[in-house]
Amino acid sequence: MTAIFINGQSVETGDHTTVLQVALANGFHIPHFCWHPELSVVGNCRVCVVEHEGRGVGIACNMPISDGMRVLTDSEPVRAQRKAMLQFILLNHPVDCGICDKAGECSLQDYHYEYNGETAISGDAKLHSTKFFPLSERIILDNERCILCSRCVRFTREISKSNVLGLENRGDSMLVRPAEGRSLDDDPYSDNVIDICPVGALLSRSFLYQARVWYLEPTPSVCPGCARGCTVQFWHRKAEWRLSGLDERHNTRVHRVTALENPRVNGPWICNKGRDLPELLDRPRATQALQKGAPVSLMQAIETARGLLDQAGKRVALVSSWGSNEELRAFRNSLGDYFTSFVKPDHLPLEGEVVEDDLLIRADKNPNTRAAQDLFGTAAAEIPDDTELVLVWGEGVDFGTLPRGVKILFLGSWLLPENGHADVFIPISIQTERRGHYTNFEGVVSPFEACQPHRDGVIDAETLFPLLSAPGGSASGGGAA
Amino acid sequence: MKHLIPEFERMKTRLPPGHDATLLVPCLRRIQEDRGFIDNSDIDGLVEYLGIPRIQIEEVLSFYGMLRRKPIGRWHLQVCRNVSCSMRGAERLIDELIGKLGVQPGETTADGRFTLSTVECLGSCGTAPVVMVNEAYHENLSAADLDALLERLD
Repeated sequence: MTAIFINGQSVETGDHTTVLQVALANGFHIPHFCWHPELSVVGNCRVCVVEHEGRGVGIACNMPISDGMRVLTDSEPVRAQRKAMLQFILLNHPVDCGICDKAGECSLQDYHYEYNGETAISGDAKLHSTKFFPLSERIILDNERCILCSRCVRFTREISKSNVLGLENRGDSMLVRPAEGRSLDDDPYSDNVIDICPVGALLSRSFLYQARVWYLEPTPSVCPGCARGCTVQFWHRKAEWRLSGLDERHNTRVHRVTALENPRVNGPWICNKGRDLPELLDRPRATQALQKGAPVSLMQAIETARGLLDQAGKRVALVSSWGSNEELRAFRNSLGDYFTSFVKPDHLPLEGEVVEDDLLIRADKNPNTRAAQDLFGTAAAEIPDDTELVLVWGEGVDFGTLPRGVKILFLGSWLLPENGHADVFIPISIQTERRGHYTNFEGVVSPFEACQPHRDGVIDAETLFPLLSAPGGSASGGGAA
Repeated sequence: MKHLIPEFERMKTRLPPGHDATLLVPCLRRIQEDRGFIDNSDIDGLVEYLGIPRIQIEEVLSFYGMLRRKPIGRWHLQVCRNVSCSMRGAERLIDELIGKLGVQPGETTADGRFTLSTVECLGSCGTAPVVMVNEAYHENLSAADLDALLERLD
């Protein structure tokens, strides 16, 4: 095992090959813009300089380790060079942090405070460049803020392989630009470049000027967009920064979605579908229990549902592939004996959507098919004509395809026309209102936490199932049956 | 571009296998020599021949000022405007050319005869000011020399 000395302290190098990797793995922070663990080393930002004792100052991202080498990360020459480098990087940077979405999570801002902290030495006027350059329908580029680290360019070449972006021209005229006639719309992973941009150059149109990041906090979750089950962070407003004068939705809404790094599933990336989850979550919700379209209380609906369950002869359940592991188990434990159960896809690929690729995207557009099929089998749904009751859990079932005259018990979360066509409709909570786990197609189980308040009139499926099966009444039902 | 492929194949033999992308700049130079500029169809041809993404060719074309994407006039007048030439009257030559030809640096005359460019050091400071006309150097140029020179260029 190779050991090197960082600031006099002996550290094991493990599998790492460069000083920067060893330092970061051992808790020594070395600033860096262009280096990214998943991308090739280009060494163009020059701020990760360290001193190799006896050899002088060099960039840590490209400095190979040798046994016993002694490295200083914060010596006088290192500090001086870093400071000079930051002056240079900021030469034409507008320093418009006050109106920049990246402020608060910007490496340039952090490093400037930590390693430079001085006003510009240069007396020359700053060069102006393009602002709000549209890279795609989703992303705009502010060339004045860009420090030409080339992370986004390398991302499109090495990770998403769309080869859309490049650096055109040279010197201080150099610009990140898409290839002629192309745009980042061609890249289903494009929004990752917003995350990896170390400054505020690449900006999300949907998040532009929506919120200061320090008013938001992330809740770990799992993307339900496909069977990959990428771990994500849902960013929503902190309770202590609650807004009282504006629409309440600002306080509860998921403002943006970012990747939650997870080497077992998605690394640091997610696809654009994951970024668009707020649109999916913002759809109008169903909060009113219905009986043949007529509003009833939740308890009344549960009573009626239990009556249907007791009376019906042949019963079939179409189980949601969006249910959590806990909900699926609750269903099997409470209602498994009542029903012949089939797992159904709640969502199918949309028109124009990337169905499947080699990186992350899976053809199954549901998060928990694996766990559901482990419990209820992989057979396609077959509903005999003499079925008397069908329990439909979640989206994706056209009631017109069910046998004529069958009773329908529908558990759903969204305001849909079919809610009123069911004999009993019970509104259930969505992923962001409860905690749970999903099992992805490879069997990796990932947890998600609640980040939105539970709505009045809505019940968790996990709570509902035991109530439906309780013979002759239940704790909360008060034995009314 | 297609007719140059046998030449490119010969250049390829000088490189280790798997380094085809290295041929990009020599190929672009050869295409420009042949056609006078690099056309969009040439870029498409190279994408196919070298197997590299289009954006990488565009990067190279925009980086090197000597690679052209548009046709130029029959005579390309490149006036050096670095220190030695400027001190020896290059700026006056440029002004004169602008007046005579009626075009700004970077433009081509309407009859397609001349393209005027200003360039960085041509490496001939001892004989400043220098104007390069196509591949030929014209050194120690006075305004009168320049007039005589333009007369000879049809």
